[in-house]
Amino acid sequence: MFKPLNKILVNPIRLMIVSVLMKVENCDFNFLKQLTQTTQGNLSIQLKKLKECGYISIDKSFEKNYPKTNCKITKAGIKAFNDHFEKLKEYQNLNLKQKS
Amino acid sequence: METQDQIQLINDTINKAKENLKESSFSFIFWGSLIAILSFFHYSFPEIVQQTYYSSLLYWVLIPVIGMIITVVYNIKKRVKVGYETYAGRTLKIIWGVFNISWILLIFISFEKKINPTESILFLLGVMILITGLLIRFKPFSFGGISVIICSILCGYTPNNSWLLLNSIAAVLGLLLPGIYLYYRK
Repeated sequence: MFKPLNKILVNPIRLMIVSVLMKVENCDFNFLKQLTQTTQGNLSIQLKKLKECGYISIDKSFEKNYPKTNCKITKAGIKAFNDHFEKLKEYQNLNLKQKS
Repeated sequence: METQDQIQLINDTINKAKENLKESSFSFIFWGSLIAILSFFHYSFPEIVQQTYYSSLLYWVLIPVIGMIITVVYNIKKRVKVGYETYAGRTLKIIWGVFNISWILLIFISFEKKINPTESILFLLGVMILITGLLIRFKPFSFGGISVIICSILCGYTPNNSWLLLNSIAAVLGLLLPGIYLYYRK
């Protein structure tokens, strides 16, 4: 019996954000914008959703009078990503078996 | 989104956030050159560096502290430009930060006890370079670290006045050459 995929992480932008945060200690808004190739508004919405789920923490500060947003993955985010990835692999294996 | 597409997206995203080791080579080339020049100058002109009781202390603290400020500013600018910090990058930052503090402390302790700090600093530096090499999986640094540790052991078997020359050789073998190799690595 396959469990459903995490609805929050099915969204490609949110999946990209969580994936990159699994690899790095922290990263800023501009890097995420460049990585996801999305608009500032959309990225802000996706970050807010991830924060509300408790998957990421957002630190806002000022650097040379400019606002700076830094994101970091939380323990809940790491667990959610790992679970999601395991489920993806299970689905992938099932697809391969069905094809063969 | 299909499961295969999601897995592919995860792989592609993770690959985009790799530690740029080439840019880290600046610090190693800078410190390798600086220590080699300082040691060789001290070895060649001891009468200038050891003019007064405190002049050699100033020579070995003031110039490296300026060097530290330069590398810290460079690394902060690099971090802001890149926009992210990897776990390996953070670990390296911490261990080299601890080394910088230990280095200055060792100089002051040795000065107080009136002993030459070269042997202990070289040993500490060798260990740090070896850890860096193992951490980033870059053999020239691992070999460089071992070379510096060997130089620190050799200090025990050579006259005191040749320690500066050993320090210069260790800086070239442990920092400068691996740094250049890292810079030109594809």
